[in-house]
Amino acid sequence: MAALLVLSGWLCWTDPASAARLVSLLSTDTVQITSSFSGETLSFFGNIAPDAGTAERYVEGPFHVVVVVIGPTMQRVARRKSNVWGLWLNTEQVVFDDVPSYFRVLSSDKLTEITDPVTLATENILPEAQPGLSAEAGWWRSTVFGREIVRLLGRRGFYGLDENAVNFQSDTVYSARLTLPSDTPPGPYIALTYVFKDGAVVARKSEGFGVRKIGFERFLGTAARQQPLLYGVVCVTLAVFVGWLGGVIFRR
Amino acid sequence: MRLPRNFRSIAGFPAPFVDTEFGGRVSVPLFSFPPNGQALQVYLPIAELSVNLFFLIGIGGAVGFLSGLFGVGGGFLLTPLLIFSGVPSPVAVASVTGQVVAASTSGALSYYRRGMIDLHLALYLVLSGILGAFIGVYIFSVLRAMGQLDLVISLGFVILLGSVGSLMMTESIRSILKRRAGIVVRREANQHNWFHGLPMRIRFKKSKLYISVLPVLVIGLVIGIVGSLLGIGGGFIMVPALVYLLRVPGNVVIGTSLLQVVAMMGATTILHAVQSQSVDILLAFCLMVGGTVGAQFGASAGQYLRGEQLRALLAILILLVAIRFAAGLLIAPGDPFSTAVIGPGGVL
Repeated sequence: MAALLVLSGWLCWTDPASAARLVSLLSTDTVQITSSFSGETLSFFGNIAPDAGTAERYVEGPFHVVVVVIGPTMQRVARRKSNVWGLWLNTEQVVFDDVPSYFRVLSSDKLTEITDPVTLATENILPEAQPGLSAEAGWWRSTVFGREIVRLLGRRGFYGLDENAVNFQSDTVYSARLTLPSDTPPGPYIALTYVFKDGAVVARKSEGFGVRKIGFERFLGTAARQQPLLYGVVCVTLAVFVGWLGGVIFRR
Repeated sequence: MRLPRNFRSIAGFPAPFVDTEFGGRVSVPLFSFPPNGQALQVYLPIAELSVNLFFLIGIGGAVGFLSGLFGVGGGFLLTPLLIFSGVPSPVAVASVTGQVVAASTSGALSYYRRGMIDLHLALYLVLSGILGAFIGVYIFSVLRAMGQLDLVISLGFVILLGSVGSLMMTESIRSILKRRAGIVVRREANQHNWFHGLPMRIRFKKSKLYISVLPVLVIGLVIGIVGSLLGIGGGFIMVPALVYLLRVPGNVVIGTSLLQVVAMMGATTILHAVQSQSVDILLAFCLMVGGTVGAQFGASAGQYLRGEQLRALLAILILLVAIRFAAGLLIAPGDPFSTAVIGPGGVL
């Protein structure tokens, strides 16, 4: 079976018609966080067409599509608690630079069925590889703590692999849906779409979308960062006012 | 030729676009849809998560009720409740300071109108308290960077609440037993402590005191540090300290302590906003509204209970919170690993 796969891969690799063009569409380019934001569902659509400039009239499958959605990167720390004299304390920590705060992979089949591990690694598709290596911690601790970050973020729904999330409507038309949770980190996002044919990438495309607070939430968020003193004074004034108003209303 | 597992052929047959299993709706990949039906979720812009509005106002109101009942600020209950319900602890501590200001303001104003505040004494407490708040907020940001903030908050609550709670418990049980036995409790007045001999004596007319200013400043400083670090007003430390250590007369103790809490927590809120930018004004506002309303009902309910019963109930409450924090420190965590964002990243 493996030999057959390798053979078919080799056959297709030599096939000149393997290049394709991806026409894709995202249901929105801005996910707006309003006061009642409780998550949002994004849809990805696409059509695999013959490459521009070729004489091909149609493309031949079967294709596989992998969509990787990457959120804004953050400096993140992983900590381990251990028991010191009966108390559970954070005793060890590893800091990682540029960890994506969101990394979900949607695919039309099992990744191992779509392509080989080398391609997955070189295209940086696997969530487990995202934290990378921490400079000061060394390889082993980076790996251990990096996996824990992936596991913890995976439990919150920020990292993950949905291996049947991309559905083909026809030979070349696919759609996929992704639900962003209500505590999605705001920032710029990228959706990378890969089209695989017999284990090799035949087309790829990237689209950006933003998750941002709008209106009042945006105003508050920026005010807290850009005018912290004024923000604090306003907060105290509001508190004193509410306290005074409560006293007046209830005539305490 | 292998087909993708969820490939839908259109060769010869129409694609199964209509899924009869789901009421004939257009077939889409089966995802869990966002819980849009949930009523009134509020998105907290600094905590960056959405919480049910009724939950926020509810815990604000419940804690406000208790604070009105017992005459305490309620910060020591609210901060733990928020932390246990998933708000990041820096945001919880910083936002509760704002709520404590609101909760104490109406009380302080009414005491001020009745002339039950020693402004001279309060001035010294406030000034040293604000200095303490500077130190506390600085320690707060250092601990946050070291990853030990949660530990210090937990330890601080265990030690503080544990000791105050057990002191109050023994005191109130003793007075309940004495009342049962028919003994009239009278507190001995004018007992002198060693620090009454300290230099820099100042006359506080309203409190009828002529004492050294040093213990006053130390009390203010300590409460400033502890309060800003733990997000509590510190009224439940301040009142015993003023009564038992400085012998401040009972009629000005609560008013003076409330004024000190308002000023010190106001300063702490601004400091947290500047230093760690973790004050969530929307979270604070929801808590304020709930707390202010709840406090009124608590205050009227408090009239039906006797003083030592109230103190015993409050002691039980304080001890429960302390036990909850101690459990978190002593029981092996289900997950020894945790992760947190500590700064902005580079470009993708």
